[in-house]
Amino acid sequence: MVWQFIEDRRHQLLYDGFQHVYLVVLAVVLAAVIAILLAMFATRVPRIGGAVAGVATSNVLNMLTAIGLTIPGLALVGLLMPLTGIGATTALICVCFYAVLPILRNAIVGLVGVDAALLESARGMGMGELAVMFRIRLPLAWPVIIAGIRVSLQMSMGIAAIAAYALGPGLGKDIFTGLGELGGANALNYALVATVGVVILALILDFLLVLLGRLTTSKGIRA
Amino acid sequence: MSTTTPTSPTVPKTPDAPEADRAGARPRLRLRDRVEAETIGLLLVLPVLVVVVFLGYVWWRQTADLDSIERSALAWPAIREQIVHHIELTVVSSVIVVAVAVPLGILLTRGPARSFAPVVVGIANAGQAAPSIGLVALLAIWLGIGFWTAILALTLYGLLPVLRNTITGLDGVDPTLVEAGRGIGMSAGAVLLRIELPLALPVIMAGIRTALVLVVGTAALVTFIGAGGLGDSLVAGINLFRFKVMIASALLIALLALLVEWAGRVLELVFRPKGI
Amino acid sequence: MTTPQNHAVSGAEITLDNVVKRYAGQRTSAVDSLSLTIPAGEIVMFIGPSGCGKTTSLKMINRLIEPTSGSISINGEDIRTKSQDELRRRIGYVIQGGSLFPHMTVARNIAIVPKLLGWDKKRIATRVDELLDLVGLDPARYRDRYPRELSGGQQQRVGVARGLAADPPVILMDEPFGAVDPITRQRLQDELLSIQRELHKTIVMVTHDIDEAIKLGDRVLILQDGAKVAQYDTPEAILAAPANDFVDDFVGSGSALKQLTLARVSDLEFTRRSTAKVGESSTEAIARAEQAGDAAVVVLDARNRPVAWRFLRQLRRHDTIQEGDWESLVTLDERATLNDALDTMLTSGHGGAIVCDGRDQYLGVVDFDSVTGHMRAVEQEAAVHQEAAARHNAVEDDGLTAPEASV
Repeated sequence: MVWQFIEDRRHQLLYDGFQHVYLVVLAVVLAAVIAILLAMFATRVPRIGGAVAGVATSNVLNMLTAIGLTIPGLALVGLLMPLTGIGATTALICVCFYAVLPILRNAIVGLVGVDAALLESARGMGMGELAVMFRIRLPLAWPVIIAGIRVSLQMSMGIAAIAAYALGPGLGKDIFTGLGELGGANALNYALVATVGVVILALILDFLLVLLGRLTTSKGIRA
Repeated sequence: MSTTTPTSPTVPKTPDAPEADRAGARPRLRLRDRVEAETIGLLLVLPVLVVVVFLGYVWWRQTADLDSIERSALAWPAIREQIVHHIELTVVSSVIVVAVAVPLGILLTRGPARSFAPVVVGIANAGQAAPSIGLVALLAIWLGIGFWTAILALTLYGLLPVLRNTITGLDGVDPTLVEAGRGIGMSAGAVLLRIELPLALPVIMAGIRTALVLVVGTAALVTFIGAGGLGDSLVAGINLFRFKVMIASALLIALLALLVEWAGRVLELVFRPKGI
Repeated sequence: MTTPQNHAVSGAEITLDNVVKRYAGQRTSAVDSLSLTIPAGEIVMFIGPSGCGKTTSLKMINRLIEPTSGSISINGEDIRTKSQDELRRRIGYVIQGGSLFPHMTVARNIAIVPKLLGWDKKRIATRVDELLDLVGLDPARYRDRYPRELSGGQQQRVGVARGLAADPPVILMDEPFGAVDPITRQRLQDELLSIQRELHKTIVMVTHDIDEAIKLGDRVLILQDGAKVAQYDTPEAILAAPANDFVDDFVGSGSALKQLTLARVSDLEFTRRSTAKVGESSTEAIARAEQAGDAAVVVLDARNRPVAWRFLRQLRRHDTIQEGDWESLVTLDERATLNDALDTMLTSGHGGAIVCDGRDQYLGVVDFDSVTGHMRAVEQEAAVHQEAAARHNAVEDDGLTAPEASV
């Protein structure tokens, strides 16, 4: 019976699935850029304000991350809706917000954790600061950052489903449909197919991300 | 949610100094040495944040210009009832989570059952990939709406962090300590109770804290299956298209979650064995 | 090495009888039929190359590893008669780093086994303080500390105290001093020796350090792969007469020099040299010395402590024997090692060194001849032992029991 259901609504489900993926990937990419830039900034601080300021900045950012992760998804949707209305924008901002946090955490740990001796020799060879960051620090921190992006991705798949409540795109819409039709004939089908769909898509995306990570990580530091 | 799994504590040493060897002039352990700065920061900031924002809410509620719908949606008795119910949901699920996940975790680190651990954790991991709203919906469709379905959903969702951390925590205890315990004549049960569990406790408590936050957040969703909680007023605000109600209730949910996170961290600290 | 005392021995004899340990799927046994008697009240060192089975053998004594076959008895009682936990509560177990439980205070760590045995609180508290004192840690300061607050050496001491807590007759130690720096290790070794002088436990210790084995062991068991006994004898015997090439290689070149850390000055024969009291007539002292054939005279003060060692020409400058400075004269304590003795002899300019007892009283003089004579005697004795043991082996073909030390 479930198969018939899927067969019948094949296009809609595929479309929703695609939208879901699109939303999440977009959000995670944006989040990654934001988080990595923020983390890079955090590593700049020690040079400006000394080691103490650097540690303080990392701590503050980590604290903010912890606080951000504590806020329930639905609450954030509720807070955003008055500002950004309903629809895809709200969903994107919501997912993006959460997606930043794990990546930021890991990016800080990763960038800060690069052996200071390596950085010093790079500067000693005449590399400019930007070059050191992009050619030494970032590549070395990359595995840790990828790990953070993986966590972020999985989390975002779930948040996106909740954000569908604000009429965002994706399979969450179908879950809510199922909820709304509680007791109805297709309630289970909607909810089940959508949920399983999210899980499968999450696993596929995770696998692809691992692959991407392997490709973009230098062979010398691949675990 | 931590993205790094904490490791069990090993015994660090202060460096040998022959003169000080007999004099014993070493500084005593302070909180600062045992706990990260980030945790101390959160322990201080969170309650302040929650209290300040809540007072702000209260002040706003008293002084703001609300229409009749808004006023009734945010009526204190209703809100209070929702808060209490939300906490109820959180606490009941968390207790069940701990009662199930910790013993299960212990079992999966003993002898023959060890081989099942990766399988069980793997299944739980895959389950975690399911969206929380999906899980809630499925259970409601299957078992009907209401309090206990909500509890089941919350419990299932909160199981993984505690289970995983219990296993990691116990596995992370230095095996030489376990051997030393057996070697001096402690029974296997005594070693588990007096050595392994206390040493694994910091990691387990971190898992419990993660689960607590997960549960209080997901509890906002059980409004969709008629199980009450602060999600009720949020959804009401959305349905009634009243921004003020939306923001106010969203804020309250966030504050409750932050409070629970803080309580979790306090518990972590309280249960952290001295000397680690 | 502890000198034999007349105190009562509180240790127990351990016997291993054809003990075998074979792990499933391995061609050779980890322990291949080890038979051994560990005398009560002695320190026996297990030593051998990595993987030879010394730690496995040790762990079979407290059943952390169960033998595949063979039996082990303590004081005649097979260790399998009690339950594992019961057995281990009567055996001290000290491992590298002390393995203190980080979440328990020093006092609680030490109190574990007494508590398991049901001692009452007061008795435990007294015992904890007693033991901390014994290992050189001020109880008031250290009782409530956590392991994290202690240095490595201190942690190891607490580990030893914990092993002694229930006053067991047998103590097993697995490389207990391996995790600390050499200076601390030496002090810990010295303290163990002085503790053992008081307590006379049976101590079985695994080590990979041959110098430690020689210094601490009353007997040393050198093992080859499969825990095959290469030699089981007193340290002096092993050094003087290694049983085979393996032992020879293992002990290393310079084993003769290692002997020097073994023997004490008191083992040597003192020579009599001329002495003179402060204030005595120089002429008389010189006459005595010339008659004895000595080129120098040991000057003693009223309390019979040596204060100077003067050549005759120095004495001739004054009518009476002048005072000397007891503190600045380099002398040997009778308990000093031969190593120290040789050092002192080389710097004294007299080809010898003055020996004093514990209260700084003059005992005599040792010279190079005393040292070489002693070493030769030890070599000869060990060779005799080796021959006797080989004959014994040929007749019985039954594994070695410890030959009697006749020192």
